[in-house]
Parts: sequence; structure tokens; C-alpha cells
Amino acid sequence: MTIAMLITASAWLLGLAFAGYLAATLLYGAGVIGGRISQGARFAKAGSWATNFHLLAVLFHFGAILARWQGAGHWPTSNMYEFIGFMAFTSQLAFQVIIRMYRLNVLGALVGPVGVFLMGYSYVFPPKIQPLVPALRSYWLPLHVSMAALGEGFFAVAFGAGLLYLLRVRGLELAAEAAGHGSVAVAAGGVSIPAADTRQTRWERTWGQRGLEVLFYGICVMVAFTLLALLFRYSGYQWLFERSTYHLPPIIGPQGEAIGSKGDLLGFIPMPLVAAPSWMRGKHMNTVLYSLAFGWLLYQVVRRWLAKGQPIGDWLARKATGDPELLDEISYRAVAIGYPVFTLGGLVFAMLWAKEAWGDYWFWDPKETWALIAWLVYSAYLHVRITHGWEGRRSAWLAVLGFGVILFTLIGVNLLIVGVHSYAGGDM
Amino acid sequence: MYYPVRYGPFWGKLYMNLGLTHAYSSVWYATLILLVVVSLIICSLHRLVPLHRMLTRPQVWKLPQFIQRQDVTYQVDGNLDEMAKKLKRRGYKVQRDRECLYGDRGRLSRYGPYIIHIGLLIVAFAGVAKAVPAWNQTNDVWIPDGQTVKVPGTNFAITNHKFTMELYSTGMPLRFATDAAIVENGQEVLRQVIEVNKPLAHGGWDIYQASWREEPGVAQVRVTNEAGQMVTNLAIDLRQPEQEYRITDHISMVILAYYHDFILDPETKQPSNASFEIKNPVIMADFVDQQGNSVGRAALMVLGKDTSYFSGAYALAVTKIDQRWFTALKLHKDRTVPFMYFGLGVVMLGMMITFFLFHWQVWVREERGQLLVGARAYKNKFGLKQDLKRLLGIDVGEGTAAL
Repeated sequence: MTIAMLITASAWLLGLAFAGYLAATLLYGAGVIGGRISQGARFAKAGSWATNFHLLAVLFHFGAILARWQGAGHWPTSNMYEFIGFMAFTSQLAFQVIIRMYRLNVLGALVGPVGVFLMGYSYVFPPKIQPLVPALRSYWLPLHVSMAALGEGFFAVAFGAGLLYLLRVRGLELAAEAAGHGSVAVAAGGVSIPAADTRQTRWERTWGQRGLEVLFYGICVMVAFTLLALLFRYSGYQWLFERSTYHLPPIIGPQGEAIGSKGDLLGFIPMPLVAAPSWMRGKHMNTVLYSLAFGWLLYQVVRRWLAKGQPIGDWLARKATGDPELLDEISYRAVAIGYPVFTLGGLVFAMLWAKEAWGDYWFWDPKETWALIAWLVYSAYLHVRITHGWEGRRSAWLAVLGFGVILFTLIGVNLLIVGVHSYAGGDM
Repeated sequence: MYYPVRYGPFWGKLYMNLGLTHAYSSVWYATLILLVVVSLIICSLHRLVPLHRMLTRPQVWKLPQFIQRQDVTYQVDGNLDEMAKKLKRRGYKVQRDRECLYGDRGRLSRYGPYIIHIGLLIVAFAGVAKAVPAWNQTNDVWIPDGQTVKVPGTNFAITNHKFTMELYSTGMPLRFATDAAIVENGQEVLRQVIEVNKPLAHGGWDIYQASWREEPGVAQVRVTNEAGQMVTNLAIDLRQPEQEYRITDHISMVILAYYHDFILDPETKQPSNASFEIKNPVIMADFVDQQGNSVGRAALMVLGKDTSYFSGAYALAVTKIDQRWFTALKLHKDRTVPFMYFGLGVVMLGMMITFFLFHWQVWVREERGQLLVGARAYKNKFGLKQDLKRLLGIDVGEGTAAL
């Protein structure tokens, strides 16, 4: 087979995997919601169908990785496009491992979208095959990056299970409020709930609910960023400045740029409206501004139209199912598997490679430092669970926070900070 | 003095005095590391001693209330002998005391965290030991192609037989390599190609391909007489020109001054060098006969960045410049590396034990012909439930998988 054929095959397999993840997510969702509406009479098989579809998608995705590997001549984790796609794969692979242990189908309705999002997000970066610079030409490239990504994949599952736990407990709270007795434990009925969460303070309840809304707004911002980036990248609009090229209409211009130098937006907003201060790159500020604004728009659309005006957290909480105690354990178990894998791949292998390539095992490079911070967050997760009995809600929030740090390490550090990992950077 | 200039005298000074400009080698950072180490040792011991006692000498006889308070509880028909046999078959270590029974498996898992902590202590030790100068030495050497350079602080020299740079068709670098040799007492003892990701190891030193440089190396200079006829060709090394070159049998060219990066100092109006690089080499020379009388003068701008000046009988013209390639090698001798790797190995071993083995404890009490079963999982409670259900013959539930 020629290289071009392999690359085409890889793209097709990737498309199939994407469709498979999407189908599996919808089936998982249908199984949960349909099963609840029909009180278990229908959609009983939806979950196992979804798991099979999902496995097929994971295999397609693996095929896509192998084809690109052969086509590119190197293991496809060498730039941001390849790496984010690879992490989408590991998150779904980790999900397959966990779902086969616990058979809790509702989990798929939350972890599936993580994979779908990551695959979409990967296209923000240019998908072309780039030859390897000398520093990356090593057998450590597949070992270090794949292993770290696998650990992070398990953290993604822990995030999904943690979020589902938070929704589920919120759902029980709402049920208790509706029943008028206020006891979550009673509302839980047949399912078991960690003791810590049967008696929550008012403070915890209020902030638990607000925290969920902040989290969903954050998710909306990331989705909005991805959609905007894809839309404007492929639409081909660009605004040229002396030292940077914008793909989004410049509201915040580069430092020192004259206001209105690029005409106006929609006939009345001068472009740029303001110039960036000296300590920040105008292009990044502009992108951040758009993401925050369109994320807010997306959040409002979901909240008003889909959730019929209720907070998104409450809307989803009413749909969530599953035994909270089991969800708590799944989240913990995913961290307990991901943690040693991440330690090996993200820290130990990284140190061994750094020693071989650069002559020292640690450089306090921003990415190294953030990987260490992520590791410390998960270390804290494991410790407070045992020493302080942080189970349930607090533990779930830590799993969410940990994954946030992981995402920042992978995405934020590359976009905002320059370091020895900068070759893997992207531009938006 | 960058910080006071950048942030003003107060904040800049404060910033420097707090050690924020060199955080990872500052005193407060070392103090933090020390505190972590001390608390790690104390916390570990504080928990390890009672844990070890609990694991090796567990209390077998328990009240029914204790058993019913456990995470997983069952009440089944059966007798203790049978139960003990079943538990043993599934790998539990079983102890009996009157009407009570205690079984546990995966006990080793509980020691895992302490193995991790010991590994981390070794890692911290190795990290701190790097501060000892004798344990952590580095050296950078620049070697031109075909030359040998003695490495300061070692008993060997390194020869760069040839530096190679390969590029992709796009101009991106593909490979940097130095065909290098180690020379001891004038003899080559080891020859190896050093590449990025392929260092050379010799006598405790690791030698890395770090960088490269290309500069004008040797200028081929044609000397012509007043009639414009060629007199001779000279090869002038632009790093280190000789003091005198012979032109003919009677005439020689004496170098009066040489600047590798010529500039007229804006303040003193004196000629000097703008940098250490060979960017604008200028040769100022005097042509003298055998009696020492000057017969001509020359100021040659080798790269032609300015007009050359000649007076008298001879003129110079550069015909060709041979580039000279340098390889930069980084030498690192780090005696803490074996400790670091050993520590990391211990950490990983501890993690495997901690996270992939599970400690499950089961207490059983015989009460009026029935068995009270209470069990506790330090991790993977779900797995314990499945295990006990299967052991007790309770339906594990449809769709739940084997663990």
C-alpha cells in the first residue's frame, strides 16, 4: 500500500470511530432515559448494544492510529492534532476497561461525549503529517506519550464517573426536596449513598449546585472555542497584522494597533475595538474573549431551550441514574488505575527520555511542572480519601478538578506558555 | 540586575531577595523539600506501626454489632468449618477464635503506600544530592571539524572527526550527529557517532549532542602586484591568523592587527570587536622587505562589507572562504542518577502493589446456626461484594462481570 492510501484509510477509520462513539453515546443515553420512562420495559438491550458499538469504534480508532503510524513513518503522537486524537482514543479504551468491570451503562452517556469532544478538538490543530525533529526521534516517543495518555484516559473516565456522581446526588436532593422531607438517604431508597453525603450542610448544597453550573459553563466555553476554531479555520477568513494573523474578527487587536484599522464588524463595531496590553498577546486575548462570549451564548441556549429554564445541572440531575456508591467507587477505581500508569508514562518515562535527549532528567519545563501538579492533585485525591474520609461529593469534585489540571497541562500550557515541549504547539 | 530595572528598585529587590528569580535553588524551596521529607517519614511511621500490628495480629473474635457495621454484610445459613474451607479455597488466610473466624487476602497491598514513600524519599535524596558539586558536573565544549579539544576537569580529550547536519526537503532539521572519538594520552580509546537521543558514555560522563555552529573558517586570498599579476595565494585562518605570511622570497606580509568582528567604537572611535563571532573580519597588514622597510599597506575587509584599502606595491583579493563547522557537546557527570532511577523503580513497585492488589477482610460469627458475615475492602469494594456473593452462593446479579 502506498503512503497516500494509508493516510486516506486512517482518515476513513477515524470518521467511522467518530460515528461509532456518537452512536454509542446516543444509545447509552437512550437506554437510560428510555429505560426510565418505560420503567425498564423497553431499551433493556440498548446498553449492551452501545457497549458493542463502542468497542467497534475503539477498534476502528486503533486501526486509524496504526494506519497513520505506517503512513507517517512514526508513532502518531508527535503534534497536538495527533496527541489530542490519541487521548480521545485512550479515554475510550479506558472506558471499555471500566465498563467491562462494572457494567454501568449510564457512565457511557458521560464518557462517550468526552471522546467525541476530544476528537473534534483535535481538528483545531493542523492535521498534516510533520516529519520528526531530531529530539523526537526516539523509541521513547511512543512509550512516554502513549503511556501518559493512557493514564490520562483513565482520569477522563474518573472525571465522567465523578461528574455523574455529582449529578446523581443532586438528583436525589431534588427528589427529596420535591417529596418535602429533605432527606437524601430516604430519597435514595433502594440505592446506597456514601455516608458522608447523606448529611450535607446547606453551604455544601448551595455551592455544589453553583459549582455544577460553573462547570457546565466551562464545558460550553471549550465547546464554543472548538466550534469557532473549526468554523473560521475552514472558512478561510483572515485578518493580517504586522506580526500575527487573526482567524476571528479582531475585537482585541495586537499591542499598539490603531482602533478601527481593519474596518468594522457588522457595520458598527470598529475592528479592533481595543489594543492588547503589553503583557498579553492580542490574538490569544481575542480568542479567549470570543470563547467566553459564545460559551455564554451556548450555555444560555442549552439552559433556556433544552433545560426549559432550569439550571443545566438540575436538568441533567433529574435524568441521571445509577447507584451513587458504585459511581463513587468507579471514579476512585479509575483514578487508582490511571495514577500508576500516569506516574510511569508521564513522569518516570519522561525523566528517562529527558536524561537521554537533553542530559538531565528534570528541567522544570512548564509542561513537566504542570504534569507534576496534576500528579500532586491525584496524590491528594488518594490521600484525603483514606486519611480524611473524603468520599462522595468532595472526592468527585477532586476528580473533576484533576482532569481540569490535566486538560490545562495538555492544552493551556501548549497555547500559553513556551517551553521545551513547544514543538507540539498549535496556533489559534 | 534585570529585575530592579524591570520592576523598579523596591519590587525588583524584594523579588530577588525572596529567591523568586531562582526558586528551585533557593533556600525556602530547599526548606519546603525538607519539610515534605520530614512529614513523609513521620506520617508513614505514625500509620505503619499500628497497621502492621493490625495486619499480623488481627482481632479474630468480634461482637455481632461490629460485623453488622461493616461495608458489606450478609446473614446466611451454614457453619464455620465449611466457611473456613471456602475462604481458604479463594485464597484467604483464615484464623479461628471460638465462634468467630477472620480471613483476609492481599495483605501485602497495605504495605504498598509505605514502599512508595520509601521510593519517594530516595528520589528526594537524589534530587537534593545534585546540589553537591562533585556529584553533578557539567561541561560544554565547542570543537571544530577535525580537531581535538581537551575537556577541562577530565583526563581525556574529544576529537570531532566530522559534524553532520541533515535536513528534510522542507528545511526542517532531520539529524545532528558528531563522529566523535575519546582521546586519552594521545590515543583514541573509543570512537562513536553521537546523536540527539544517542549520547556517548565514557568514564562516568555522558556526552550529548547539544548544538552546532558554522562560521567563516579559512579565507583564500590572492596577492597581486602593481601590474595586476598574481604573486601568490594565501590561506588565512580567520579564527587565528598567523603573524607573518611569506609573499615572495624577499617580501612578507606582517599582520598588524586582526579583528574578527570589526567595528569602530562609537565613543572612542577606536577599532574593536563587536562580538565573539566572526562576522566582519578585517586584516590590517604591512608588506615588508628583508631589511624591514615597509613597501605597502593593506586593510582587507574579508567579507567585503566595506571597501578594502591598499597602498604600495601589493593588493589582496579574497577568492574563496571555506566554512568551518563546530559541534557543541554537552558533558554531564551525574552520580545521583542511579539513586534517582532506583528510587523511581521502588516507587513503581510500590504502586503496582498498592493499586493492583486488594486487601479484603472478612469476619464471620456463628450465631444460633446462622453465620453473620461482615467484610471490609480497603479498595475495590465492588470486587469484594462479587467475590463474597459467589462464595456464599448468592445471585451476583445479571450483567455483572467477573472481576
